[in-house]
Amino acid sequence: MAKRRLNHTSVIEPDMTPMIDIVFQLLTFFMVVINFENTKADERVKLPKDLLAKPPEVKPAEELVLNVGFDRDLSGRKLSDEPIVFYSGDKYTINNFGPMLEQEKRLAEAKGGKGAIDDTTVILRADSEVPTGKIQELIRKCQEIGYTQFSLKAISEE
Amino acid sequence: MASKRRHDSGGKVDIPMAPMIDIVFQLLIFFMLQLKIMAPEGNFDINMPLGQSSQQSSDAPLVPDIKVKMISDANGNLAQLKFGERNLGVGDGAFEALGAEVLKIIGTPGNPATKDIEVEIDADYELHYEYVIKAVSHCTGKIDPQTKQLVRYVEKIKFAPPRLPKNG
Repeated sequence: MAKRRLNHTSVIEPDMTPMIDIVFQLLTFFMVVINFENTKADERVKLPKDLLAKPPEVKPAEELVLNVGFDRDLSGRKLSDEPIVFYSGDKYTINNFGPMLEQEKRLAEAKGGKGAIDDTTVILRADSEVPTGKIQELIRKCQEIGYTQFSLKAISEE
Repeated sequence: MASKRRHDSGGKVDIPMAPMIDIVFQLLIFFMLQLKIMAPEGNFDINMPLGQSSQQSSDAPLVPDIKVKMISDANGNLAQLKFGERNLGVGDGAFEALGAEVLKIIGTPGNPATKDIEVEIDADYELHYEYVIKAVSHCTGKIDPQTKQLVRYVEKIKFAPPRLPKNG
């Protein structure tokens, strides 16, 4: 060590090229793998699994994603039997969700003009244990607002 | 400029790499944090304008609509799957039978005469949603074991008017 200090006064520069190569490869990997489309999906919702559930070939022009699930603890046990709509970081019961749908309609019309919700598909991401009657109540609320196209989500089962 | 540099020094030109590495690391961390590992999700489309489920169409279709009734127990599990008035039982076998019955009605998959046929799902209020998805899936089609391609039976699915909860 002492010898090196005497011989060279300049700074020792490590070769950065391999590290930069790896970092760029990692960066490319994460950029390719990342899916910004699923940002509206709520992880608390345990979707049913199905063989036929394949990602759609044609994406709807506009979509409204509604996540319906339960309050669960860390182990996944239900804390309440009342299904909840997870919307914009808040939780609403299905009975109280009407004003939010009105708000969505106003936003869609402000963005796309009157009748914009005709082209909007309501994507229902519902927990596999939610009672069907509750889902139908939510569909009914959406219909009353003016939504006509619905899509039920399930996890693709291999 | 190039010729001046060549004359001034014979050593290589050092490009400062530190700012680029900083930015690249920040990008890498951003994408790593954004990554959510999720299974691919699929859609089942249903078309339900308001009032469609309760009103009858004036034009009588060539083939009557298919009615699938799903009865649940108090816990929301499937107790009985009915195709029209026929009881198909419970479990996976019942759903397979449902698919076979739908195929019998439409004849061959993609038959233009039966492409407008609709399936009406009439499920009990308490029934877990997963059973409805299973029924929708088996009415929609199946995966051909040989080709691994989707064979489509019925494209139009609708819900019957909602039932009231059994416990009031």
